[in-house]
Amino acid sequence: MEALTYSYPHAPEPALREISLRLAPGEFALLAGRSACGKSTLLRAACGLIPHFHGGEIGGQVEVAGMDAVASGPGELAAAVGYVAQDPETQVVSTTVAAEIELPLELRGDSPTSRARAVEEVALALAIPHLLDRAVDTLSGGELQRVALAAALVTRPKLVLLDEPTSQLDPVAGDELIWLLRRLNEEWGVSILLAEHRLERCLAAADRVIAMATGSIAFDGPPRDFLAWAQGADQALETPAARLFSLCDIEPLPVGVRDARKILNSTKRGREGRRTPSSLNFSGESESSSPRPADEKVQAVRRGSASPPTAVVGVRDLWVELDNGDAMHDVLRGVDLRVERGERVALMGRNGAGKSTLLRTVAGLIEPVRGRAVAAGGIALLTQNPGDYLVRERVGDELPGDMGLAALRVVGMEHAVDADPRDLSGGERQRLALAIALAGQMEGDELPGLVALDEPTRGMDRARKGDLVDLIGDLSGRGAGLLVATHDVEFAAGFAERVVLLGDGVVIADGPAAEVLSGGWYFATEVARVLDLPGAITPERGAKALLKPGEFALTRPMGEKRRSQRGEGG
Amino acid sequence: MRSPFAYTPRPGPLQAASPAAAVTYLGALVAVAFLYSSPVVLAATGAGLILAGRLAGARKAVRAAFWMGLTLALLIVVVNALVVSRGETVLARLGEWPLLGQVDVTLEAIAEGAVLGLRAATVMVAFAVYSACVDPDRVLRALRPLAGRSALTATLVSRLVPVAAADAARLRDAAQLRGPGAAPVGKAPLARRLLAGSLDRAVDVAATLELRGYSLDPPLDAPRTKYRRGRSRYDRRFYATGATVLIASIAAKLTAAGAFHAYPTIELGVGPTTLALSALLVLSGLAPLRRARRPSALRSAPNRPPTVQARGVSRA
Repeated sequence: MEALTYSYPHAPEPALREISLRLAPGEFALLAGRSACGKSTLLRAACGLIPHFHGGEIGGQVEVAGMDAVASGPGELAAAVGYVAQDPETQVVSTTVAAEIELPLELRGDSPTSRARAVEEVALALAIPHLLDRAVDTLSGGELQRVALAAALVTRPKLVLLDEPTSQLDPVAGDELIWLLRRLNEEWGVSILLAEHRLERCLAAADRVIAMATGSIAFDGPPRDFLAWAQGADQALETPAARLFSLCDIEPLPVGVRDARKILNSTKRGREGRRTPSSLNFSGESESSSPRPADEKVQAVRRGSASPPTAVVGVRDLWVELDNGDAMHDVLRGVDLRVERGERVALMGRNGAGKSTLLRTVAGLIEPVRGRAVAAGGIALLTQNPGDYLVRERVGDELPGDMGLAALRVVGMEHAVDADPRDLSGGERQRLALAIALAGQMEGDELPGLVALDEPTRGMDRARKGDLVDLIGDLSGRGAGLLVATHDVEFAAGFAERVVLLGDGVVIADGPAAEVLSGGWYFATEVARVLDLPGAITPERGAKALLKPGEFALTRPMGEKRRSQRGEGG
Repeated sequence: MRSPFAYTPRPGPLQAASPAAAVTYLGALVAVAFLYSSPVVLAATGAGLILAGRLAGARKAVRAAFWMGLTLALLIVVVNALVVSRGETVLARLGEWPLLGQVDVTLEAIAEGAVLGLRAATVMVAFAVYSACVDPDRVLRALRPLAGRSALTATLVSRLVPVAAADAARLRDAAQLRGPGAAPVGKAPLARRLLAGSLDRAVDVAATLELRGYSLDPPLDAPRTKYRRGRSRYDRRFYATGATVLIASIAAKLTAAGAFHAYPTIELGVGPTTLALSALLVLSGLAPLRRARRPSALRSAPNRPPTVQARGVSRA
């Protein structure tokens, strides 16, 4: 790309400004940046959808595998470029998986035998041969994403562009996808350009990071240099492990878990031969010893009630059956769950584990076949697509009267009464949808017993997730129980005091967040995986553990030494 | 939740057959349903179709179509009985009705309504079996060389229908989850929202088709192979069954078999030809029967094609 500038039709500002970028064959580049910074637009320009499909004004040059992307259409570029978008549902156009993967080859005019071989090989590479004869509308989000990737790879493109492909995947499927991309990159020599918000998941696989801000390239370099840049330029782009190291003043900043462990171990060996983190008997001091403001509010709510803790949700021996197209099957199998007033619970598990079904059953959308789910004091459920709640063209029309205004006040949106919901940012639309679910369920300022959110962080950058954590803390402080289904372990570590892990419709773990999110590999935060210490799940808690006097190898003098070397310590 | 009529890939002969063979087979049975008014022949056609659907694994589709057809048939019987006063056997005189005038319910009108209902139910079962067993991708692929733009439109629509159905279900759920203080969602705003969402979805699907190279003409030097697109070893069976059913039905019709007259009194011809034709129609439902494999024969098959060819070329 040379001096690429692009504006969408009728847009007042360019979405891309003077982008100059060169991706070498076989390179794995990560495209980072906050929401709406231009990542998706850049990917769409590289595959020819811009300007051919979206229109608008374009300046500069885009050349992909020797073809002029501005002159050629996406169809011609398809031979050299594969594109995988965020929403897998709109990326499939056939009825069966085999037909979907075969379609680009058929349109290219390949013979049936070569098509069959290519389909088989790409299916084997992506570990989906068992899906080939399935109907696409029976696949899970993760499976569908793999099928979309297979359809993009089947023509053996030189470049694959991926726009947040893991946003709908659980941690297991997300990690598998990233390492699959790395393997394809190494073994097939495919160049990869991957836009992603959860950088901790893919930084270690990348050769290079391109960070964007307001349509321009703000940084372009190796992952370790990117972390150093993000530390000063935009902390929302820091990975948790990098944040941990910067809090402890350890250098260099780590690119992934393995790198972090290596740096920590070598740092310790160099310092008086003290013990490594995994051999320490760390007691895991919990955050409850220094509670956050939201926690204090919750404690006040709980103290205010003389009676024993009140359950806002009582689920007992819950069995739910759903039709998967072929037959009825059990989605929830004897689930027991109790959420207290003001409690913040994260509901986690793989795609298809039954998280959404549990929330929908509690909200009364699904009738259980056995057992019962009672939400005492009412429930406000925000489903995965906040846009589904917005059907009118004025916020005030969605939420009329005093009850509407009260709900808007709870989510901090009272200033937007006259706005068109379509003009709001993604985070504001989510708050508005929550207000719609809350409206009329409050007595004065008192919220319904349970506020439930289903995958609220899809496509969110870390800054917006932080805002959501604050909102959750606020709602919890007002006395509502919070039950949030999420795949995002870092987000869960940020807000939850308790984590319930579902596996194939059964509760397989239920305990304090600090315990559950540090006890595994996939459902564990990056800091927990680095330190392997009970309770150390966030950078702040990890740093506290690392700097604990007398217990751990790292102490402040090292940081002071580093600061003095940089001339920051005075 | 999936529609019972949605295509489900299964390893059956009807699913493996080329679209043309499947359409010939099912179309012949539908043609019989329109050719005859005899309830015996229609019932035999319906039985053949139900048997075919069950053998093809489309049990849910057949059941759903059967109940829908039965409901429709009852409705037709009631309407016909009230609207048509022809026939000599008056069962009830219901007097003067607004718009309808004098209403006499006759046995003949009920019988004619039942025949019409039976025909409608039979055709519905045929379409249910088609919908659940014939891969729409293969149909569109077969149509593409004949009418590219129509095939593109059909591809978009066939993909958008399930997506729009899923969107509608989500919107209905969201409408239920609105708090009592939020403005209620009427059908009109919901429909508007669904339409707007469908247009967005259509743009995304069209973009995907662009990226797959749908707009390109196939290269002129595309290699030709000895394989013919979409054929299967079961095709002959379905072509033969369809042709037999059609020829036998026309021949029987020419000999005035399967006669049925509702008015002025019911006349039903049940001769040997009618019974033979009916037996043939029921037996035609065995066409999708899959013979049990003999494992030993499979193991010793010397020229068994490799998996990739089996899947990609014939799917048989």
